[in-house]
Amino acid sequence: MTSSATADGGQDLAEQMNDAVREKFVMGGFLGEGTYAMVHKAHYRHDPSQVFAVKKIKLNAEYHNGIAPDAIREMQFLSELTHPNILKLIDVFSSKDQNLSFVLELAPRGDLEKLWKNKDITYTAADIKAWTNMLCQGIWFCHENFVLHRDIKGSNALIAADGTIKLADFGLARRFADPGTRMTTQMITRMYRPLELLYGCSHYGGTADMWSIGVVMAELVKRDWYLGSETDIQQVSVICEKFGTPTEETWPGVSALPYYVAPEKQNNMVGTTANRIARPRSWWRQEFMLLGDDGAEFIKGLLTLDPQKRFNSRRALEDKYWTNMPRPTKKENLPKEGGGEKAVGDDLKRKGGETPTNGRADKVARKLDFGAM
Amino acid sequence: MSKQPARAAAASKRLAEDGDICPVCKSSRYLNSTMQFKINPACYHRMCDTCVERIFKRGNSTCPIAGCAKTLSWAKFRRATFEDLKIEREVDIRKTVMDVMNKKEEDFETLRDYNDYLEQVEEIAWNLILNIDVEATTGKLERWKQHQKAELDAGPPLASGKGATQRKASQSSKKKDEAETGFTFHGLKKRVAPVKEAPYDPWGGWSIAPQYYVLQDNYDVDWYKRIKTDVHHVAGGHSLQDYCSQALRDAFGGLGVFIEDEILARDTPSMDADVGTEHAVAAAMSGKDANMNVNMDDVF
Ligand SMILES: Nc1ncnc2c1ncn2[C@@H]1O[C@H](COP(=O)(O)OP(=O)(O)O)[C@@H](O)[C@H]1O
Ligand SMILES: [Zn+2]
Ligand SMILES: [Zn+2]
Repeated sequence: MTSSATADGGQDLAEQMNDAVREKFVMGGFLGEGTYAMVHKAHYRHDPSQVFAVKKIKLNAEYHNGIAPDAIREMQFLSELTHPNILKLIDVFSSKDQNLSFVLELAPRGDLEKLWKNKDITYTAADIKAWTNMLCQGIWFCHENFVLHRDIKGSNALIAADGTIKLADFGLARRFADPGTRMTTQMITRMYRPLELLYGCSHYGGTADMWSIGVVMAELVKRDWYLGSETDIQQVSVICEKFGTPTEETWPGVSALPYYVAPEKQNNMVGTTANRIARPRSWWRQEFMLLGDDGAEFIKGLLTLDPQKRFNSRRALEDKYWTNMPRPTKKENLPKEGGGEKAVGDDLKRKGGETPTNGRADKVARKLDFGAM
Repeated sequence: MSKQPARAAAASKRLAEDGDICPVCKSSRYLNSTMQFKINPACYHRMCDTCVERIFKRGNSTCPIAGCAKTLSWAKFRRATFEDLKIEREVDIRKTVMDVMNKKEEDFETLRDYNDYLEQVEEIAWNLILNIDVEATTGKLERWKQHQKAELDAGPPLASGKGATQRKASQSSKKKDEAETGFTFHGLKKRVAPVKEAPYDPWGGWSIAPQYYVLQDNYDVDWYKRIKTDVHHVAGGHSLQDYCSQALRDAFGGLGVFIEDEILARDTPSMDADVGTEHAVAAAMSGKDANMNVNMDDVF
């Protein structure tokens, strides 16, 4: 019911443009609901073959204009960053009820969290390498443009129709901080939050995102949550038990961080004294055996406690792990949601090779059987 | 098929010769009369039951016959019959022939050509299975193998004008080459080495290199030194490098927009990347210097 401009209550130019954008799209089925948005499928009115996801931001009375800062940040950063591994923001419009809607690239194959949880899907070290590499490329592009994502997790790594990983949800993103500028440490979903944030340090950098990628990669390997807990304090314990409690030797300056507790003072805290020394290389190889020795070294680079020693996104992409064997799986061959049945079928086909033993020695039948050997 | 009786005779002759020795452990049925041969229908390679127990009882393992590499499961082994022994030999011969005569339908101009080719391959296989012209046939096979290898090593034909004439020349000599192997296949396309897959590019083809400036390891500015040694910035992983390149990108970012300037800059040495960047960055950041002691706590 878009009324054309009337003489008295006429639309201004912005309204007309907004209507023009909104009119381009036809809404379709429901895709999902997030913390501050509803997501629907949509397509171009003039070309129904071009499909998108429209994310309608819920009106939030808490905020000025009713729009959460998350939405504004998402709009700002997604529109600035154009890269194959970053979910593209196509358009923005507001609807009659003043709700803001984002038109996003459609990512219909779920996300990396759904993927490892789906036990019908089997995948290999080469698949993990391909997914992690795409994730690293996406975050490298963010960092190269001085954007911190600050909410990397499996469920924010969406999967496009062609298998490409798309880094999504820039609701917590921000520009790299100027020196001296404090940033809040209550960022990054707890399970993916690095120790420097948990210790309350407000001057972090791009390497914080790299820790999160390390955790996502570990989850892909284990097909389980890797560093889970209920509280921030527990999260510190879980990390320290896994990798050792950092000290001034392993992480210069760490003892000056607000919530740091030295190993010798942890005695009364349950579960935090278990492991005070850094893990040896052999532990990493054992822990991430599936990835091979070079893969274990690589994930060790991401899951390094000292953020200065941790791989930054550039260093991560320079690693030899990517060019070593096995070669990362091609996008079109990556296992996908719903691929369970098909995979079983392929396995049956592959079995083959059994030769008819009725002794008829039928020439043509044989030829087919032996040709594959 | 008139070949059938001859084939059976040849097979039974061979059985009498070596059918009683286990190819894996070399023990003989003459010395161990309780020995039994087993086969697995994945490859029909024959071995004694002791070997089967030893190698496969604890779980799947690869066939010990060289060049086979099939993974065999213990459960699938069964007693070898007379027929199996013939099949084993036939399987091996066919595998050898197939390794060399490995053309596919798409290698031929027509389906008919392909079928004719298959006929000849079949002929070779039968000759070897039935022990007909073995020496000549094996020689022919070997020459074809060398010919194929040479064709591959020569690589794909050049695409330049000069290459095109060369290709014509090699086309005419192709018939001759092929004839020397003892084979002529009608409609067989020239074999072209597959394009070697480029090494994986972990950057996906992207790179962002600054055009107008070079980032330095250090800047001689007061606040820079202060931040560089500030324990909170150091321990937190805040990167001054990132900050400086951001400031430089912001300062120089607009330059590329003016096409005319860019054209001018191309011949102007003063736009060289390493000139004056130290001052430029100091200038670019000087405004921020003044604010540096102000508490700039950020809502985000
Ligand atoms: N671009 C997209 N393509 C397809 N589905 C999407 C897309 N974006 C979001 N969704 C779906 O909508 C749900 C909610 O999205 P979102 O608001 O981004 O989640 P959250 O608020 O939990 O981060 C997701 O779980 C997903 O199923
Ligand atoms: Zn034996
Ligand atoms: Zn075998």
